[in-house]
Amino acid sequence: MTELAQNLVDGLGRGSIYALLALGLAVVFGVLHLLNFAHGELVTVGAYATYAMFLALGGNWWVFMPAAVLAATATAVATEIVAFRRVRGASPFTLLLTSFGLSVLIQAGLRTFLSDKGRKFPKPAWVFDSVQVAGVRLEVYDLVTLTVTLAVLVGILWPLRRTLFGIALRAAAEDFDAARLMGVQADRILTGAFALSGFLAGIAAVLIAIRLGEAKPLMGLDPLLKAIVATIIGGLGSMGGAVIGGFALGLAEVLFRAWLPDDLKGLTDGFVFAAIALLLVFRPHGLIRVVRAERV
Amino acid sequence: MTRLARLGGHYGPPVLGALVLCAVLVTGGLLYASGGGGSRDLLVTDLLVTTVIVMGLQLFVGNTGVLSLGHMAFAAVAAYTTFVLAASPVAKAVYLRDAPWGLGDVQLTPAQATAVAVALVLVLGVVLAIPIARAPAVTATMITVAILFVTHAVILNWNELTNGAGGMAGLPRLQTRSWVYAGLVAAVVGARTFRRSRWGRFAAATAEDATAAAAVGVDVVRARTVAFLVSLVVVAVGAALRVQSTAAISPRDYYFEFTLLTLAMVVVGGRRSVTGTVVGVTVIFVGQRLAVNLAGDRENLVALADIFLGGSILGIMLLRPQGLLGDWELDEAIVRWWQRRRRTGPAAPGPAVTLLPPRSVSGRSHLVAEGIGVSFGGFLALVDVSLEARSDEIVGLIGPNGAGKTTLLNVLTGVVRPLEGRYLLDGRDLTGAPSHRIARAGLARTFQNLRLFPELTVRENVAVAALGAHRYRRGRPVPDVEALLAAAGLTDAADRRARTLDYGSQRKLELARAAALGPSFLLLDEPTSGMSDAESTVMIEHVRATALAVAAGVVVIDHDLHFITSICDRIVVLDQGEVIATGTPAEIRRDPRVVAAYLGTAPPVSGTGGTPAAPSP
Repeated sequence: MTELAQNLVDGLGRGSIYALLALGLAVVFGVLHLLNFAHGELVTVGAYATYAMFLALGGNWWVFMPAAVLAATATAVATEIVAFRRVRGASPFTLLLTSFGLSVLIQAGLRTFLSDKGRKFPKPAWVFDSVQVAGVRLEVYDLVTLTVTLAVLVGILWPLRRTLFGIALRAAAEDFDAARLMGVQADRILTGAFALSGFLAGIAAVLIAIRLGEAKPLMGLDPLLKAIVATIIGGLGSMGGAVIGGFALGLAEVLFRAWLPDDLKGLTDGFVFAAIALLLVFRPHGLIRVVRAERV
Repeated sequence: MTRLARLGGHYGPPVLGALVLCAVLVTGGLLYASGGGGSRDLLVTDLLVTTVIVMGLQLFVGNTGVLSLGHMAFAAVAAYTTFVLAASPVAKAVYLRDAPWGLGDVQLTPAQATAVAVALVLVLGVVLAIPIARAPAVTATMITVAILFVTHAVILNWNELTNGAGGMAGLPRLQTRSWVYAGLVAAVVGARTFRRSRWGRFAAATAEDATAAAAVGVDVVRARTVAFLVSLVVVAVGAALRVQSTAAISPRDYYFEFTLLTLAMVVVGGRRSVTGTVVGVTVIFVGQRLAVNLAGDRENLVALADIFLGGSILGIMLLRPQGLLGDWELDEAIVRWWQRRRRTGPAAPGPAVTLLPPRSVSGRSHLVAEGIGVSFGGFLALVDVSLEARSDEIVGLIGPNGAGKTTLLNVLTGVVRPLEGRYLLDGRDLTGAPSHRIARAGLARTFQNLRLFPELTVRENVAVAALGAHRYRRGRPVPDVEALLAAAGLTDAADRRARTLDYGSQRKLELARAAALGPSFLLLDEPTSGMSDAESTVMIEHVRATALAVAAGVVVIDHDLHFITSICDRIVVLDQGEVIATGTPAEIRRDPRVVAAYLGTAPPVSGTGGTPAAPSP
């Protein structure tokens, strides 16, 4: 029982990072129909920004978050202006490869201008702490991650639902052309969507950097893949689905790891991915179906 | 002999073109290698072997339009299989001390090991083709992502068989390059002839528009599966050659980086062209080598090769998304050039329009729909609709917007499954059958919003349908592609892309494509929509002539009462999902319910062109 409770919190902690990244992917998918493979590089950029702040200022981790968020947001907006704006409406094939190209370029850029090898920095002491709550040992890191994530999600919920930009964004995600006819400006919405996805990725980047204690050029790949999987579990383009998918993936990983025999634990990711591939065979559109049937 | 000659004419130029491509690539490589040095030799082998693998990837990605990130997982399986089976027991004693199933003592010849590797990849491919071929394109891509990562995780963790992250070395190296040459020729010739083959053209049709492909009888799932499996064979052969040319293996060799590299090679030159793919391989390969040489030992330029790679992908996608060459093929260009040169004086006039002698088909076909009911989330789109048509008549289907006309057509062609009722063609129940089977059974359709294969040529659009017809409409004379094009006035435009045609010609092309199936019935969804009166009149005659020529009955939807009443033998009127009247045009014009549905119950309104107004009830 206590083990299950520990696993649940552990899973939610992991899942919250996936949820942040998946939500960013979903926001962009909504307006551009692009699954952005360059999204992982936003995490890398955020982590390097964290490292840079650490070098410059040292000390307090919470000072780093705004810098990382700013760097990731700026990068996301830059990719939109340089590349994605120009391929709006192109085939999914072109969109995907555009994001591949950007991903390779940003990675290569980081390796060229910052460092080819990883940069280590000391983790804050509380990463190693845990607390006892009603007989259950909980990692402080999981609790912090979960709290930050929930705060961010609640924080963007209100602007998404009530501000003009939020409503325009959601309308554009439903039907971009109809939204434009209603006076929504395409470029602004695209830029806004990328900024939002960069903002979320920046927060995830700090959380990841705290855990790893390192910034390295290829660190974005793994979180990216997990986030893609989460987006797909939730149903491509559904923002709520992406968040649910993120948490579900985190839980699935922890539970698989707990249940698998020791010599198969290394294959946890493999089992989770295989289970999800199976899910897609039966529900090709994920848990929440967004894409409406095509008119014939 | 004639069949052989025809095959030679069809496949001869592509095979020759592919051989020329191989010769150019090999000659260039040998010239470079003659500059001396063992490392140059290795580079050339690497280039040729990479070409084989990329050719395999192009076979799937280029023909089906589905982006796959999973192919290098299959390459990994083939490479590891080859390594484990062909490495000497001595080498395996170093890396695989606990090899299962007595594999530690096995040593097969390279050819045997390759054969086993290809077979294993095929078995895996057959299983994984099921979800990939069925899913929508974006989901299929994600499944291939999952395949890549699961495979990588398995390789990293199955230490007894793979030595995990450490990789292995010590495989007997290929002594000569002859196997590489053989693999290269097989891959390039294979990829080029596949595109020309029935399955290649079916796959290309599904890449353009899966719904339209099914409507001309193409089994979308099977077309994708065939392309997938053929491509896996080529990839597996290439991977077996690769591991034997490097003599070592590590999980990183076949992971995300290699996937991106090979994909870049396919898209930079032009994913739909074999020539383009060879160009893409060369450009990326040479460019990366130059970048590496340029960077040398300078710390700050370590990533120059990747900058080149990312820049190439991004630049192509932003500036020329179809790739450097688009779908240009060497052999096609040569054939065009040759034909232009041979043609002296003005072009000969097109062949006389001879489709089929009318009524050359014995017996009439009979289409019956009974009690069809369809509901979309509670909205009753069709209620108890029945319809009958014979192949010697033209039946009109009219009704106001939202009456359910297109839905009925979608039911008859397998796009929408009815909740109730059934329909039969010559007594054969087709209810719930998939679209491609219905098309093969003899119901050919056109679409309200035109669904051509936009990037294929006009001739190819019709030829895809005719290919299926030759196979599945046996016992019926199948109309000739050129004759159909001539009848539609499209002979001169036959080599243009379908999307470049004007609207009226596109409508005619869609009709010609449907007729090429040699159908028992043509189901036409608003063939004159968006046309002027004069164009409509021409279209009416064209529909009538085409139907007569291929001996097909017609069920036609239209808003244009003038069109419908002048062409139809019988008319069925739908309103709010129900049949409200059936009869001859004259009867329909007088029917008070029809007038009410169309015009409301207001006093008469005069029709266009002096058509007598319907009498008020």
